[in-house]
Amino acid sequence: MKTTADPVRDYLAAVEREASALPAGRRQELVADLAEHIEVTRAEQPATPVGDILAGLGDPRTIAATALAEAGVQGAAPAPARRGKVHPLVPLLMLTVPYLLVILLPDVYALRVGSGIFRIVGGVLLCTSVHWRPRQKVVGVTAIGLLPVVAAVLWNETTIAPAGELPALVGNLISLTVIAVGSVWLWRSRRA
Amino acid sequence: MHRMEAGDASKQARAAAQLRKGVLEYCVLALMRDRPRYGVELLRELEGSGALATSQGTVYPLLSRLRRDDLVTTTWQESASGPPRRYYALTDSGRAALDEFTRVWPGFRDAVDAFLTVPHASAGDHA
Repeated sequence: MKTTADPVRDYLAAVEREASALPAGRRQELVADLAEHIEVTRAEQPATPVGDILAGLGDPRTIAATALAEAGVQGAAPAPARRGKVHPLVPLLMLTVPYLLVILLPDVYALRVGSGIFRIVGGVLLCTSVHWRPRQKVVGVTAIGLLPVVAAVLWNETTIAPAGELPALVGNLISLTVIAVGSVWLWRSRRA
Repeated sequence: MHRMEAGDASKQARAAAQLRKGVLEYCVLALMRDRPRYGVELLRELEGSGALATSQGTVYPLLSRLRRDDLVTTTWQESASGPPRRYYALTDSGRAALDEFTRVWPGFRDAVDAFLTVPHASAGDHA
């Protein structure tokens, strides 16, 4: 390890570096306080080695952490990453709006594909959101994500449903109602 | 069940550190009760006390906060030996904070002692 000519300067530089998150004025004040402490101690106890004085002051990191805590600054430890920063409206809109567009413009193929992708992403965002509990997520994804799709598939790909414009309209209205009620319920039951 | 583990020593150190954190500033204020003190002097007293001894450098951020909170004021005074010293003195609100702590501390201390005393005389314990 490299021995330096001026351990005091190195020590103070280390404190300054570790305390870089402090406002400049506070940081300079801290370094000045420590420098004064070292000078006064050296004057009062000339026999004490500088290394002992610095050891008594302690680890620069500990001092900096204390200073940050006293100053109310979030210290070297980064603030815990916030999960679910996505606004709760985002998954709800992604699940519902594309569906409405497809109902309004059923013949635009790109819209159908885009709608599917948006709704899948919306479902994932809903499931990873911190705004709802697991049970609510299951109900929400089922009601406004899966049920309309299942209904549409049954309607279009099987012969269970009656043919004709009127039953199709009724089917769409029921789907819309389920989606609307589900969305409103999710919106109301969300956690802040 | 409590098992001895490698982390226990550091947990105990943490308990002492937590306690110190709570009372240190009042001990520092108490040291200034009769007259202003300079930093090295305050640290020497804390060092001599044993339990309150801490990494000395961490007391300066504490002093800085006490000053910002207007519990202490500082003045520079020349010294016969070495550089001028920054003296810390209680303000009125510092003295009030110290008086308040002095008032509540005995009850606090006795309550903790009562919990820690073995055997603990528990009123609700009908074995």
